[in-house]
Amino acid sequence: MISNIGSRFRFRHLRLSTKLIVTYILLTVIPMSMLGYISYRQYARSVEEQIGEYMPRFLYQANADIEKHIDELSKLPDMLFNSDNILGILRRQAYRNRSDLNKDQYSMDNYLARTYINGSYPDVIGVYVLSGGRTFHSARLDFEEADWNEVLSQYEEGAPKPGRVKIVLPGELRLHYKSRIPYVFIEKPINDMDNRKILGQMLIAVDLTFIDHILRNFETDRRAELWVMSPSGRIVYHTDRNQIGTVDPNLPRYPVHNGSFRSYASSEPKLMSVNESSGLGWVLVHSVPLKDLTKRTDLVRNVTITVFIIIIFVTLAIAVFLSWNMTRPLKKLSSLMKTVEMGNFQVDLKVQSGDEVGTLARSFNSMIATIRDLIQRNYQIEIRQKEAELYALQSQINPHFMYNTLEAIGMAVEEGERESVVEMVTLLGRMLRFSVSNPSKSVTIGEEVQHVKDYLTIQKYRFEDRLNFEIARMLDDRDLHTLYTPKFILQPVVENAIKHGLESRRSLQIHIAISREFGARSGKHDIVFRVRDNGPGIPPERLEELERLLRNAALEKRDSQFGLSNVGARIVMTHGPQYGLQLHSIAGKGTEVTIRIPTIREPGAADRTDNEEG
Amino acid sequence: MPLYSRMLIPLLLIAVLASACQSRSNGYEVVYAMDSETTSGPADSADPGAGRSYTIAFVPKGSDIPYFQYAAEGAMEAGRELGVNVLYSGPPEADADRQIEVIRRLIEQKVDLIAVSANDPVKLVPVLEDARKRGVRVITWDADTEPEARKFFVNMVEPETLGRHLMDTLALAMGEKGDFAVLTGSLSAANLNEWLKWIKRQQVEFYPDMRLVEVAATDDDLRKAAGEARRLLAQYPNLQGILGNSSVGPPAAAKEVRAAGKAGKVKVVGLSNPKLMKEYLLDDSAQMATLWSPKKLGYLTVVLAVDYLRGRLPKDGQVVDNVGNIRVSGDMVVMGEPLDFTKENVDQYDF
Repeated sequence: MISNIGSRFRFRHLRLSTKLIVTYILLTVIPMSMLGYISYRQYARSVEEQIGEYMPRFLYQANADIEKHIDELSKLPDMLFNSDNILGILRRQAYRNRSDLNKDQYSMDNYLARTYINGSYPDVIGVYVLSGGRTFHSARLDFEEADWNEVLSQYEEGAPKPGRVKIVLPGELRLHYKSRIPYVFIEKPINDMDNRKILGQMLIAVDLTFIDHILRNFETDRRAELWVMSPSGRIVYHTDRNQIGTVDPNLPRYPVHNGSFRSYASSEPKLMSVNESSGLGWVLVHSVPLKDLTKRTDLVRNVTITVFIIIIFVTLAIAVFLSWNMTRPLKKLSSLMKTVEMGNFQVDLKVQSGDEVGTLARSFNSMIATIRDLIQRNYQIEIRQKEAELYALQSQINPHFMYNTLEAIGMAVEEGERESVVEMVTLLGRMLRFSVSNPSKSVTIGEEVQHVKDYLTIQKYRFEDRLNFEIARMLDDRDLHTLYTPKFILQPVVENAIKHGLESRRSLQIHIAISREFGARSGKHDIVFRVRDNGPGIPPERLEELERLLRNAALEKRDSQFGLSNVGARIVMTHGPQYGLQLHSIAGKGTEVTIRIPTIREPGAADRTDNEEG
Repeated sequence: MPLYSRMLIPLLLIAVLASACQSRSNGYEVVYAMDSETTSGPADSADPGAGRSYTIAFVPKGSDIPYFQYAAEGAMEAGRELGVNVLYSGPPEADADRQIEVIRRLIEQKVDLIAVSANDPVKLVPVLEDARKRGVRVITWDADTEPEARKFFVNMVEPETLGRHLMDTLALAMGEKGDFAVLTGSLSAANLNEWLKWIKRQQVEFYPDMRLVEVAATDDDLRKAAGEARRLLAQYPNLQGILGNSSVGPPAAAKEVRAAGKAGKVKVVGLSNPKLMKEYLLDDSAQMATLWSPKKLGYLTVVLAVDYLRGRLPKDGQVVDNVGNIRVSGDMVVMGEPLDFTKENVDQYDF
């Protein structure tokens, strides 16, 4: 169990490609090899079973044929009774002289030769009649043993004789024919039916090669063996002639005597079919090596194995390729992620495929791009914001403005315009407090408008009739104190207008309008500040350049237009490109700057960077 | 999943291998076993009553007559071989009434089967029918009764063949001319009368020069037979032949012919045992005897009786062990052909 947990643990930590290959092997090679093995085995078994079922029937038939043949031969002794003369000889017990005996011997041998040997019984090798100490015989073949006559006589006197037909195996008689043909004796008592006596025994030697003819029908395989055994296991007939006369020691162990079985007793497994005849009890055995039975299926098996191996290699190659193909982008991804982790966002995962890995790669790429973009933007917004604030702060405490204002205050003091001095100092103080005391980036519209009004009032003191202004608040008071705007957006525009306007004009009229309008680009009600002057206007080429500058919202070096672009950039960065600064100018007539911001109801909202526009 | 498959596959492999190895542990694995019915089909060894021991009454015409004694030997032999009890029981002499008494006694003894050689085909019918009613099976042998009284009849030879053959042997001995007499057993015995009918017909058909002067009955009694023979020889001085168609007749006739010094002049032929006829044949007082083996008849009768008790009736062409082929026509079984005994071969027979 521990080792299993261990192996599981180890498997979990294997590389994905290894896992995939192992899984492929488990899912293809093993089931396929098992399937192949089992189906081949089942096929071979079914072939064996078919033969195992068919062979016993055949053997049964063959055994019946053999038995029938032996039965017919067993009736041969009855032919002795057809001749009265022969019956007379057999019934004769005593002879007065030798010539009498010899005469009978002659007639009897003659009769046997005529009836059995020269007759139509090709299977009869010889007939031997043993009666009252006399031996009559006629045979095609001679015995090897010279004293066969005595052996037969002894046999007749020896063993007790049954009243019926008996098969005497060659081994029981110790007699051999000169040519080694398989044979048995059929022994039958010669029964004198009239006198109810046994006159003697008749032995018919039967050539068993007739079994060859019976068996030839189905002995197709040369490796197959067929043999016939007596009930005691002595082999009477065998396709291998050398086996005749030996004893099959396995006969008692045969599991069935009518049927088929596989034998693993010898070195080579065999399919053996057996049939035991009911009459003689002879056991007919057919034995064929299992290998031979399935020989014809060997080609099928080899082809199957070859195809199987090819398929395994192909599937293995596919498995390796697929797992490599699948894990390669993942590996690349992981290495790229490490690069990104190190801070390098300039990466691109090049995967073209349209599958999940491709989607993943695209998502990764887009994510990296977004991150890169966001970092860039936030970074720049931050810088610009800081710069804008720094600039605004610097503008508020512009030493030049302070100097001019203090000079104007000084002149007023000299002229004794005490009220003007008090107002100017008050305004200046309020402006400084607006700039310094309020750290937030947004203020209410009212405060912003108040601030620009303070600024214009101070400038009015300075330029007197040369500068006129009016501020039109087209919002109700509540909105002025509840709606917010980025801080310090009007003063740079107004400053710019005064600077350029008073350079070329004797007197400058500035009109500021604050209204709430529907914005076509934002689709909402926006707050719009309009700063209009009757200054010299901006030549078209210069206007184009300015508009480009505003669109790009890039921070150029601080120049005369820095104030405008700083305002525009701050608004765009904070609220998106649908808001910002617009210039309308007709050369010689005047300029109108439109500042568009969203309706902001919370003070913090103006600070928030609008990421949704990303 | 990988864990399970890793464990499962070796297990499966082991299971497959194990199943393959399991059954071969003893070296043999049965593929197919033929049901024993097909193999033992032809040899129907199932005898319904094989285990029972039967008692068969073997009833002769007369138990003292040698012919029937030999038949009884055969019957006993069959009884021993087949394991049945054979009772040889009959009247000492051929007598129908006494035979009926014997049969009555046998019925009382509750024998299984009575095989009877009937002295009278009609007289015996009631007692045999009574026996059948009481569950005793009845067959006849040697001499038949009316067919309704028995199941079948075991005959030794075809009556026509035998009758014509007997006439032929007499004609051969007599040179086909002259007067002759017939010594029969009982005038009521069915078989004797049947043979006699064919003897007469053969004579009428082929031997016009021969003349049958008298048919005398011996009642199968030796003394009466001798007396009848003497009377015939005296009564018909021109008598040239005597034919006995029952086993008692020919020896008695031959003995009287020899005593009368007429050996060779009066020819004697007929049905009789070779042992009885041997001395007369050898000294020419008798010319030829004809018979079958009574032992074989007794043997066959008992074999067929046992078959019948076991539910099998004889079939035409059936081979009976130690007997040979039998013929069956209707309810009559015919054992075979008659044997002729002459001076030359009479030694060969021991009945």
